[in-house]
Amino acid sequence: MTEERTRGGTAGVEAPVVLEMRGVTKAFGPVKANDGVSITLGRGEILGLLGENGAGKSTLMKILYGLYSPDEGEVFVDGERAEIRDPKDAVSRGIGMVHQHFTLIPALTVAENIVLGAEPRKGATLDLAKAIKDTEELSERYGLRVDPRTRVADLSVGAQQRVEILKALYRKARILVLDEPTAVLTPQETEDLFSVLKELVADGLSIILITHKLGELLGISNRITIIRDGKVVETVEASGTDEGALARLMVGREVLLRVEKTEAKVGGPRLSAEGLVVLSGAGAKAVDGIGLEVRGGEILGIAGVDGNGQTELAEALAGTRPAESGLVRLDGEDVTRVGANGRQGRGLAYVPEDRGAKGLVQDFSLSENNALKTYDEAPFSKWGWIFPKAMRRRAAEALRAYDVRPPDPDARAGSLSGGNQQKAVLARELSGDPGVIIAAQPTRGVDVGAIEFIHRQLLEQRARGKAILLISLELEEVRSLSDRVAVIYDGRIVGEVGPDATDEELGLLMAGRTGGEKDA
Amino acid sequence: MSSRLRRALVDAGGALVFPLIAIVLSFVLGAFIVLATGNNPLTAYAALVRGAVGSPTAIGRTLLGATPLIFTGLAVAVAFRAGLFNIGGEGQLYIGAITAAWLGVTLGFLGALSIPIVLLACVVTGFLWGAIPGILKARFGAHEVITTIMLNYIGIYLTTYLALKPLRTEGLVPGTDAIDFAARIPFIGLGLGRANYGFLLALVAAVVAYLLLWRTGRGFQIRAVGLSPGAANYAGMGIGANTVLALAIGGAFAAIGGGVEVLGVYGKMTVPFVTGLGFNGIGVALLGRNHPAGVVLGALLFGGLASGAQEMQFSTDVPLQLTSVLLAVILLLVTATKLVELLFGKRARALAGARLEKGLG
Ligand SMILES: Nc1ncnc2c1ncn2[C@@H]1O[C@H](COP(=O)(O)OP(=O)(O)OP(=O)(O)O)[C@@H](O)[C@H]1O
Ligand SMILES: [Mg+2]
Repeated sequence: MTEERTRGGTAGVEAPVVLEMRGVTKAFGPVKANDGVSITLGRGEILGLLGENGAGKSTLMKILYGLYSPDEGEVFVDGERAEIRDPKDAVSRGIGMVHQHFTLIPALTVAENIVLGAEPRKGATLDLAKAIKDTEELSERYGLRVDPRTRVADLSVGAQQRVEILKALYRKARILVLDEPTAVLTPQETEDLFSVLKELVADGLSIILITHKLGELLGISNRITIIRDGKVVETVEASGTDEGALARLMVGREVLLRVEKTEAKVGGPRLSAEGLVVLSGAGAKAVDGIGLEVRGGEILGIAGVDGNGQTELAEALAGTRPAESGLVRLDGEDVTRVGANGRQGRGLAYVPEDRGAKGLVQDFSLSENNALKTYDEAPFSKWGWIFPKAMRRRAAEALRAYDVRPPDPDARAGSLSGGNQQKAVLARELSGDPGVIIAAQPTRGVDVGAIEFIHRQLLEQRARGKAILLISLELEEVRSLSDRVAVIYDGRIVGEVGPDATDEELGLLMAGRTGGEKDA
Repeated sequence: MSSRLRRALVDAGGALVFPLIAIVLSFVLGAFIVLATGNNPLTAYAALVRGAVGSPTAIGRTLLGATPLIFTGLAVAVAFRAGLFNIGGEGQLYIGAITAAWLGVTLGFLGALSIPIVLLACVVTGFLWGAIPGILKARFGAHEVITTIMLNYIGIYLTTYLALKPLRTEGLVPGTDAIDFAARIPFIGLGLGRANYGFLLALVAAVVAYLLLWRTGRGFQIRAVGLSPGAANYAGMGIGANTVLALAIGGAFAAIGGGVEVLGVYGKMTVPFVTGLGFNGIGVALLGRNHPAGVVLGALLFGGLASGAQEMQFSTDVPLQLTSVLLAVILLLVTATKLVELLFGKRARALAGARLEKGLG
């Protein structure tokens, strides 16, 4: 299968090759996640891996890191055949990995997390002072700002990611794999991360980067390997291609990177909040007196830097987190004291930002997950009994309609690729014909084709008179979908602008500079 | 359809791989111990098997031993599905036993008709007793491992007091009055010795547990809460209510176990009463991977080993305690999945189900 390799294959690598994966094949039951995949990585190079959800990118990287063993294929590090049976082998070969989901221990400090498993010792005890010094040195050297003494639980997502990278560097990684590192980052954090990566490659490290954001990939990588259905389609020089071409290569068809929006036909208010105050898990006021109103047929976008109360706002509106004070109204009815179940029964759908821990029960099948909120309603239930067959049938339809791969109702949710899990959540939430939709980060981690699809779905719901609250860190997404954009800062709505607001306008608001505007 | 059947079979096969490997390994290890005691392992094991399944009486003994363990195993398994460790099976079983001992005598005049009433009463008392740690957890966050352990003591001493003071018999043996034979669970017969219909009740209980967990909305909630509290909360399921219910239902299962012991085996609650059934239920559930079918198989293994041990001790010099060693090794191997991986490589682990790989993201 390696004859697939075309222009820009090994030929594009000028520097010495530090890593080569040759003919890697891995099947999960009937699914061939990798089918004769070959990639090469040069020293000091950033190689982008691009492909649709479920194309097999994470699987390939997990094989490289020894988490899965390949059915076929070989790995060469520095031209030498490497037998990688577990992560320990990978680490000893100088391979480091930053997972999509972090593996840090929240209760420990940054320094403790970094040295965990490879602790510097003084006699029989942990040499904490040395751990802190080592950490400081590393973070200084590559501009990975983080205080070694803080507890990981108190860190932002971006900072946790820096700790993950430091952890790999501490173990002397020379090949660094980052699986969708920017999916959870703000634009500023992404910029910071990329400048760190540039430092690293300047220092002779080599990096494999997975991301669905084409712009980022073009900006930072040297070459891009495109994978489709477990096979390498092509490897291209980043300088010689553009977003449209990449999207075409990975999806196999033309992709609209921007969807067309029709004129809004705005109806009456459907979801509203007044003076809403919500506490965070730590007990602080995460939402501090927010009032908002979403009307039928419109999309209200909430823009803001992560951690300004978006999560708590969404949860309080959806009923999964209690409101400290204030009112929530659904179609005119006061539902402040109604639980999540009751609100869902009144036609509220909620796509949570954390699909892994909230949106899905990882160890449930897709059909069970599809019925997660409606298991006690007809046709899934009668007199307290549930009917798995009915669940399976309905799930099969929903999965097919939303192009979840594989569309197998019996598959465990956790076995799906990240983007397909997201689509499975959307399938459940949107297929119930809800009147009001709260969508938090609805396209996090999904490929460009799926983004187009999800955006179309949301706009279609809007055209059908549904009220949609869109919470997203992606400014582009908020702007292209919303009819109005409210900016949240420190638990308050600090301003409302139209979708054509400039970056500067939004940026100022997101930084908390209100310029005397009134609440939305 | 057939692919689903195949998948189910592969799953079931995978689930059996670990316990089977563990059983074989423990017997190999046990053989060395038998050798060390100066006996022939083959003779000893032959006696063990004979004593477990070699004759109708032996089988009856095995079933008799397995019966209460199915109930206490289910008590652990149901709670575990909600993500809870129910260590309170022992106390819950005692609560059921005293309920049956008292009501069995009081309602004895009803004859066989009293049996379902008494068992139903066991369900109620066990349910209420089991709910206590659930409420303590849901309300105050008290960890159920601690509270169920403490409630074991309370349950055991409370029932002992009741059996020795208010309900004490006139007779010589300390304990409650004997229940009328007509009001006891009858023997199965068929040469199975003292095995009674309690075993069939236990099988029914396992089916009920299965249906409850996989075929009712409540079971759906319990499993969702156990696997992902975050997602369950997101879906609007009450975490607290399901915590209380799962432990209460577990308590009810263990309590019927106690009731069946009294109505089917002893006819009363003696002091001291049988011990260790609740704790062995934990082992049974572990061995059975917290699945009702697995619990039945695990309980049969426990019952079979106990019954076979008597024959083994009788016809060789190998002491009864060998089976405790075997069981301990089996449980150790079943729970220490890493160890099996070390011994047999990743393939055995992969066979045992993708489940184990889930943590890897
Ligand atoms: N542990 C597993 N068990 C069964 N199937 C799996 C497992 N891991 C991955 N798969 C399947 O292998 C295929 C490739 O998955 P993978 O996670 O590598 O995709 P990906 O390219 O990383 O996608 P995404 O962009 O959505 O993260 C998918 O069809 C997925 O369902
Ligand atoms: Mg992935």
